[in-house]
Amino acid sequence: MIDPCAKCEEVLQPYLDRELTDAERAEAEAHLDDCSYCRKRYRFEESLRRYVRDAAAEQMPPELKAKLAALRTPLV
Amino acid sequence: MSDAQTDARRIAQDERDRARFEEEALELSDQVYRVARRLVSSREEAEDLVQETYARAFRSWRSYTPGTNLRAWFFRILTNLNIDRGRRVQRTPDLQPIEEGDYYLYNRLEQDGGVDDEEQVVERLSQDTIVQALSAVPHNFRDVLVLVDIGDFSYQDAAQILDVPIGTVMSRLHRGRRILKKELAESTVNGGES
Repeated sequence: MIDPCAKCEEVLQPYLDRELTDAERAEAEAHLDDCSYCRKRYRFEESLRRYVRDAAAEQMPPELKAKLAALRTPLV
Repeated sequence: MSDAQTDARRIAQDERDRARFEEEALELSDQVYRVARRLVSSREEAEDLVQETYARAFRSWRSYTPGTNLRAWFFRILTNLNIDRGRRVQRTPDLQPIEEGDYYLYNRLEQDGGVDDEEQVVERLSQDTIVQALSAVPHNFRDVLVLVDIGDFSYQDAAQILDVPIGTVMSRLHRGRRILKKELAESTVNGGES
């Protein structure tokens, strides 16, 4: 029999990507309800995703925005 | 209606369609820059890439079918240009197995200093560490990682943008995230000495 925590770890990424089927998601959630080991790791992973996204975000320089607008086709 | 009037109407409609397309495209510029910045290594390269993407998109706007996914259409130009311009060395994906699982980073952080609050423990990672770890992920994996995790694209959209099967997106994403976590663990745990 497959270790349920190993199975849960395997579906961690598609679960957070909302790419699991309803049945797969229900199975993962049932395990997460019962297993604090996996639940902690899922919470961590969810925060990590947000944190990486925020850390990687870099504001576009305003000059670039102006340059892009200047690429527009002039109206006839 | 005369032929001249018909032509004039057609031209006016064409102008409106193009103007609308350009406006919608410009609304995406923050997202385009954010993704471009993580696909290449410097700000200057990202700015060039974004400008080229817009120049090409504005030239070839007629090839976009209104009502279809403009973001995906746009990011496909971006990723193709990134490859075409030789900013990246195309490599055969590294197929060596990665032993570390998805819980690897958490387990390492837990061993290193305990985890009281799993939602705050990420704050042990600095912004620089994250940016460096991302840039250490090989391009083939990073492209997918950046599109899905930073660009917020679905697997299906990422597959369409990169012109690869969805299974390839999933496997590259899986691997890319594990590489990222391994890099983060190595640069964070034990002060980066491990």
